Amino acid sequence: MKEDYLWDKTGEPDPEIQQLEEILGTLRYEPKPLELPQDLLTPRRRRNHFPLLAIAATVLLALLAAGLWLRVRTQSESQPQQASVTPAQSTIDEKSTVATNNDEERKQQKIEQVRKRGWARLRPLPRHSKHRSSSTTLAKQEREEALEAKQQVMLALRLTTEKLSLVHKKNQSPSNQIKNQHRVG
Amino acid sequence: MNSLFHTNIRQPLMVLLLIVSSTLVANAQDSRIQTASLDHLAAKASESVDVNVDERLMKMAAKVFSDQDADERKIKKLVEGLKGIYVRSFEFDASGQYTDADLESIRTQLRGPGWTRMVNVTSKKDGKLEVYLLFHGDMVNGLAVLHSDEKELTIVNIVGPVDLDKLAQLEGQFGVPELGIESQKPKTKNEQ
Repeated sequence: MKEDYLWDKTGEPDPEIQQLEEILGTLRYEPKPLELPQDLLTPRRRRNHFPLLAIAATVLLALLAAGLWLRVRTQSESQPQQASVTPAQSTIDEKSTVATNNDEERKQQKIEQVRKRGWARLRPLPRHSKHRSSSTTLAKQEREEALEAKQQVMLALRLTTEKLSLVHKKNQSPSNQIKNQHRVG
Repeated sequence: MNSLFHTNIRQPLMVLLLIVSSTLVANAQDSRIQTASLDHLAAKASESVDVNVDERLMKMAAKVFSDQDADERKIKKLVEGLKGIYVRSFEFDASGQYTDADLESIRTQLRGPGWTRMVNVTSKKDGKLEVYLLFHGDMVNGLAVLHSDEKELTIVNIVGPVDLDKLAQLEGQFGVPELGIESQKPKTKNEQ
């Protein structure tokens, strides 16, 4: 049997091959444009909300974090709103005794310093009351609080300037070691 | 998946990172020195001072400074911009009541970014005095004074823009001694 028909359709046709040609011919390539279903050609307009949601979640998280941070910060700052000076009892008792050595003299001087500074007048600041009876009470309390705060500010400024004054004196003394103006951190 | 990350998630993540980092930087730049580690010294001290004036109290205090009195007006101007003044001072009857670790807990904070030790004075009589300034650009945004003597430990911390010129103007007023403070400007990097 010649197989020319199988290869180049010449010669005597083979019925089996012809039958196969008929069967497979339906699947032959035809040069026509692809036809897609109509619903695929006009897709539904789906908006992608993911970026917006992600931004909203980010902003929400940032706000929450900032809120928490501020709360922690204000709590930690508002807790110790007081000034206190606590001279030891033994130190005060020594005021009545006669100083016999240098240490005692030094203590006496310190006590005098404290008295002059008015530290002993300082009292802890009144706490904030959430339920205040009237606006006059509020104003009075606020004023008291402000006056206490003023006293504390004055005390702090005195201490600061005293220390800076000491620094200034030491800076002017040539005998002291002065390692000045260099970056540590 | 990779393209999804690039298109949808990267931008919000960058925003979040920016917010978090700016918060951290702001926190790191805070000039408040934490002194809670020194609380235990109060029991040993013969005399201790603890001043905590935060921004709210500072504003309240500024209101009661008189505008009529020239001296108080100066202090009011100095105080108005500040965000807090904190003082811890301990005086002891005997020496050796505080340790180097106590001091180090403070110094560690003062080695943070922005802080510059401007003065470091050591003397046998008065101990060690250190003055630190927190610079924010050209502005002084905080001041810390650390005085450690045999029988004394004092930490003064002023938070906020400290005007050294105004501080110098307080000399001789309200019992504030003459300081001879000259206004200091931050040195350039070449000078340091």
